[in-house]
Amino acid sequence: MEFKDLDPILHSQLRLAIMSLLISVKEAEFTFIKEKTNATAGNLSVQLNKLKEVSYVEITKQFKDNYPLTLCKITLTGIQAFETYVKALQSYMNL
Amino acid sequence: MWLTLGFVNNLCIAGFPAISEDFSGIFCNSRRFTPGNILKKILQMEDKELSHEDSLRLINTMINKAKNSYHDTGVGPILWGTVVGICGLVSFFRIQYKFILPFDIWLLTLIAILPQVYLGVKASRTRKVKAYEESTMDALWICFGVGIFILSFISGFIYNNFHPMVEEYARRNPGVSVLNYDSFSTAFFLLWYGFPTIITGVLRNFKPMLAGGILCWILCIISVFTPLKIDMLLTSVAAIFAWLIPGVILWKRFKKRKAAHGI
Repeated sequence: MEFKDLDPILHSQLRLAIMSLLISVKEAEFTFIKEKTNATAGNLSVQLNKLKEVSYVEITKQFKDNYPLTLCKITLTGIQAFETYVKALQSYMNL
Repeated sequence: MWLTLGFVNNLCIAGFPAISEDFSGIFCNSRRFTPGNILKKILQMEDKELSHEDSLRLINTMINKAKNSYHDTGVGPILWGTVVGICGLVSFFRIQYKFILPFDIWLLTLIAILPQVYLGVKASRTRKVKAYEESTMDALWICFGVGIFILSFISGFIYNNFHPMVEEYARRNPGVSVLNYDSFSTAFFLLWYGFPTIITGVLRNFKPMLAGGILCWILCIISVFTPLKIDMLLTSVAAIFAWLIPGVILWKRFKKRKAAHGI
């Protein structure tokens, strides 16, 4: 049986947590992801940028009531990468 | 994407212990090991290799966290169930006791749009996440609202064009029962009430709303055979069972959840 390599971008705790959150929703605010992952703002920002660099997420910055608002959304590439990652896990675990 | 979500959910259903939804009770009995604490631990292990079990556990936890982030307060269904329920009941008593109101009671539905818009804007301002389901629900109920006004316009147009003809026929044929379009139009409205209510009930897996929607369709068929007075009563019953009661249930659930989790 051939084992697929796990995507190194997704095979990281925080990045995988972010992608798992974003795959379930249409879009989420930065604060929502921070709250749900219990990550620090700095670390979260770094990991989100890594995901953005590989086009797995889309980040939009705007203003709400004069406060900056960062919106994150999973892309089609991100969805495909996530699906491939889960399938690879499935093959590793013979599920 | 849904295949992936389905796969992860199926793992839970299949009893895969490492990714069970409530794995706090499986892994240990200590209060220290709540799902939140386990997640925190996993996320803190930045340098440690992520095992396959950890990955699946993390995916499952986050998907469940995202799912639980949306809470329907039930205020919308309560508002519309009350307004349409009152309008139906007042119309019933107006016909029954033959009193005249200085205005059309159904205009209340137009006024109710204002608090609905306010609630919608307020919810979108405080909302930190937008679920796919929410967008579908928003589109569904906006289409329903617009559709109701189009249906009212069509009904009014048909009534205004046919009523003089029917009146003339009744005048020439005294004692002959003539068609009363008003009575038949209620059936179209009840049919229309049922559509979004049933879809919402199915999508949210919320049985009280599904039952309420099905009741709308049953009352729709009954209303074809009943006079306008009874139709108004049926409309009121439909609104109470399809929206008001499910709305109160959602409100109670929301309050309970808020008290338990502080959301």
